[in-house]
Amino acid sequence: MRDLSLLVQMGFGALLALSVYLPLRCGQLSLATPGFYAIGGYVAALLSTRWPALSGGGASYPLTSLALELLLAALVAGAVALVLGRPVLQLRGIYLAIATIALVEILRVLNLNMAWSGGAVGIFGIPQPFDGPAGYALATGVLLALTCWLCSRLEAMRLGRAMSAIREDELAARCMGIPTADVKLIAFVLSAVIAALTGVLAAHFLNTWNARQGSFDASITTLAFVVFGGSRIWLGPVLGGLVITALPELLRPVGDLRLILFGLVILVGPILFPQGVITPEGLARIRAAVRRA
Amino acid sequence: MVHLLQILINGLASGAVYALFALGYTLVFSVLGVINFAHGAVFTIGGYLTYLLIGGAVGANGLLAGLQLPLALPFWLALGLAGAGSALVSLVVEAVAFRPLRKRQAEPLLSLISSLGAGVVLVNLVQLLMGAESYSIPSSTLAGLPAALNLGGAQIRTVQLLLLLVATLLLVLLTLWLEGSRGGKALQAVSEDPVTARLLGIDSGAMIRLAFAVSGFLAGVAGGLVGLSVSIAGPYFGIGYGLKGLGVLVLGGLGSVPGAVLGGLIVGLAEALVPSDFSGYKDGVAFAILFLVLLLRPRGLLGKPLASKV
Amino acid sequence: MEAGQRSLPGAALAGALALAAALAACGPRADDLPLQVEGGVPVGAVLSLTSNANAYGQDQQIGLELAQAWHQKRRKADSPGAPELSLRLEDGGGDEATATQAFNLLIDAGVVALVGPTLSQQAFAADPIAQRRGVPVVAPSNTATNIPQIGGFISRVSAPSTEIAPLSIAKALELNPSIRRAAVFYAQDDAYSTSESAIFQKALADKGLKPVTVQRTQLNDQDFQNQITGALRQTPDLIVISAQAVDGGNLIRQLRELGYKGSIVVGNGMNTPNIYPICQAYCDGILIAQAYSPELDTPMNREFVALYKLAKGGAIPPQLTAQAFSAYQVVAEALQRLNKRQPLSQFSLADARKALMAELLSGRYDTPLGEIAFSPDGEVVQQRFHVAQVQMKPGSLNGRFALLP
Repeated sequence: MRDLSLLVQMGFGALLALSVYLPLRCGQLSLATPGFYAIGGYVAALLSTRWPALSGGGASYPLTSLALELLLAALVAGAVALVLGRPVLQLRGIYLAIATIALVEILRVLNLNMAWSGGAVGIFGIPQPFDGPAGYALATGVLLALTCWLCSRLEAMRLGRAMSAIREDELAARCMGIPTADVKLIAFVLSAVIAALTGVLAAHFLNTWNARQGSFDASITTLAFVVFGGSRIWLGPVLGGLVITALPELLRPVGDLRLILFGLVILVGPILFPQGVITPEGLARIRAAVRRA
Repeated sequence: MVHLLQILINGLASGAVYALFALGYTLVFSVLGVINFAHGAVFTIGGYLTYLLIGGAVGANGLLAGLQLPLALPFWLALGLAGAGSALVSLVVEAVAFRPLRKRQAEPLLSLISSLGAGVVLVNLVQLLMGAESYSIPSSTLAGLPAALNLGGAQIRTVQLLLLLVATLLLVLLTLWLEGSRGGKALQAVSEDPVTARLLGIDSGAMIRLAFAVSGFLAGVAGGLVGLSVSIAGPYFGIGYGLKGLGVLVLGGLGSVPGAVLGGLIVGLAEALVPSDFSGYKDGVAFAILFLVLLLRPRGLLGKPLASKV
Repeated sequence: MEAGQRSLPGAALAGALALAAALAACGPRADDLPLQVEGGVPVGAVLSLTSNANAYGQDQQIGLELAQAWHQKRRKADSPGAPELSLRLEDGGGDEATATQAFNLLIDAGVVALVGPTLSQQAFAADPIAQRRGVPVVAPSNTATNIPQIGGFISRVSAPSTEIAPLSIAKALELNPSIRRAAVFYAQDDAYSTSESAIFQKALADKGLKPVTVQRTQLNDQDFQNQITGALRQTPDLIVISAQAVDGGNLIRQLRELGYKGSIVVGNGMNTPNIYPICQAYCDGILIAQAYSPELDTPMNREFVALYKLAKGGAIPPQLTAQAFSAYQVVAEALQRLNKRQPLSQFSLADARKALMAELLSGRYDTPLGEIAFSPDGEVVQQRFHVAQVQMKPGSLNGRFALLP
């Protein structure tokens, strides 16, 4: 059971990592992911606890209501991203990163002060659509598989190639006639939607939601997922998200030294794998080796 | 009038701490073009070192439980030594988290993450050694001074005023050193154009170490001073300042020393201007300003144009 | 590389997740196995040993360790047949996810009951899991409203602020009936302080004292010059603070340094000697309502205070330590009574958990907190709360919470 629920959290980690990866794929370092994750969680928490009609009559929360939450969360996050995206994406490099961190922090302070969010205590008693972690593992697995599929499709699509071109050289891409602003915005909106969908599942999974979800720390952790796993192919962030989420749990047997070892891994990871653990070249090599065997 | 004066004083007092914190960030950024996420941890260590050097005893929960140095230095001496100790820690961070990546000419983003790892290690190491409890520097350290001063009807705590003065002094010294000394000029040369600097025979590695040492010294002194003002609130003491320091740094413009000071003062004053009925929004103000400034002026107030991406 | 190849790992991943889910659903259930008695009945504890809640977890850990030693000694002396306990402590971190994982880990390991988690927000995430899996939880420090209402398996020894907070307001008004202007401060990002402040504000309103200002602070913020000068402009004569030890201690120190002379009432989060080094001489005279008083004169509490002093070089135990001690004691004594009724080795794990919960709620316990029992929904019923006033020893960082009659 525990391993399954760890698997669910690892899945969340991978999804959030992909949400950071998508803008990074076109060279945009956006750390707004935890903010959209928080928005998704609040949509789910508010709808499922304050709108009795959604809970149906049965013992467990209806899956149709969960689907409705996912839809609404995606719409809300997508709309917010669409509005904020244009002005924010004019910023570059580290300035974009900090501006998005500022957004996350502003959202946190708003959530603390707004009556509907429950302040620091937050919203609790969120109803359960699944009996146990198995259902969550399945739902997270499906969402992750869909997102992976989307990311892998991107590499073959014109949109994906446009993204890569912007990452290599934005100016050149614009000269080639690529609508760089639109492409960047699409990546930003997709990233927001993925984070919000993850937030919906996480709110139900955690039973509670509060202003501490989606903070500065989370921004940096999700970035670590991507840097650790590798940002050049979607499998990298997925691996980074899975491994780094699981690591503190797997390190439990070492007791007091747990977080020191965790910190060491984060410290040494980028030094040993400057390109991330997974690179397209590495994958190609493995594939060739498999074919030979 | 008195109310306005009070706001000004409140703003300057907290702005000085933000500026001091951001200065350390900005020095490293100016030579390396990366943010050192272990800076908050070095600040924490500065606070703990000051506490130990004035003869404070370790509580009952860490590995060093009961340890007390056989000396009780006067506060200002302890603060200076703590700054030196923090400079050493900062050099270790450079050697472990930055140098290997620099040698490989890796993306700056990587050292951001490895320095984050170094910060996690340092904070948890502090907890392992000293426990999670808070430590305080006795207020008798400032014996003879009143707890607060009345400046034309406005109140300021004496410690805060001292902090403001020391921060100003450090800032002036830093500027004089950067502008007037060989070392300072070499540092600036490296930050402006590393290639030319190397042609001129400047050892960029040494300059980077120098920047880390000075940045660590500033962080350590800030940690000790803030510890005197509000106690050392446990191993996560400096981390809380990290986020706001980052905001201040970017608001002023990355890599700009006057920018860091300007950013600190603006954030301090803006927070002081938040009406007292809306105190809950105080923490959001810095970031709201930062966000708006970035939209209008994408490289911060006094920042230089960004040469490369990230 | 074509897209088809690339999506293969994605499909494989989803497949693996689904397979794992299916396997888990039909695997053998540990709950049906007999309760493990050899080597001690397993009891789990989840405390915040890392993250910035680590100071609380550290205080609680000492409480559990003392309780363990004390219980073992008493078992040998008084009732040799009583079951031995084996305590397994896991770090719950400061976030919801870590506490949840620790709960799952311990439940899978077959613990018969859980003590924890440290923070109320973590309890809202982790307790429903224990509830669903039928594992008794005794919370040593959760004070938010609605925690025992999570379900029949959730109980706590930490009295909620609703009971305690109004006492100190009443006492302040009794000591100084001329109080007219109350100002309220609370740490708005702390669930504990937020809930408590709402109760303080209601208690004030009940006495006809609408707060002249409500100032919000943050746990990690230690410089309150802005909020204080703002509040002092309203010339309050009573200041009511809901905060934790470090930020609250700093708030008191800065209030006094900036010239506030009136009464100060603080919340239960500051009921720890850890505030003395922070507000130092300025702590003197503050009023506090306590769920635990080290000065409570019962044999059990005297013994507990002596044990703590022995372990910690003469220091006075904080409330969190006393409550953690009591939580362990409740579990241990309930197990002992259950074992007398029917030997524990005859229970399956699931039945033992269920029977333990019933036994736990029906008992009375003589703890360092005084005599406690539980209401049917798991809320602690505590005989006595106290109002104390801090008296600092001049020129030192030591003081005491002197009980007021």
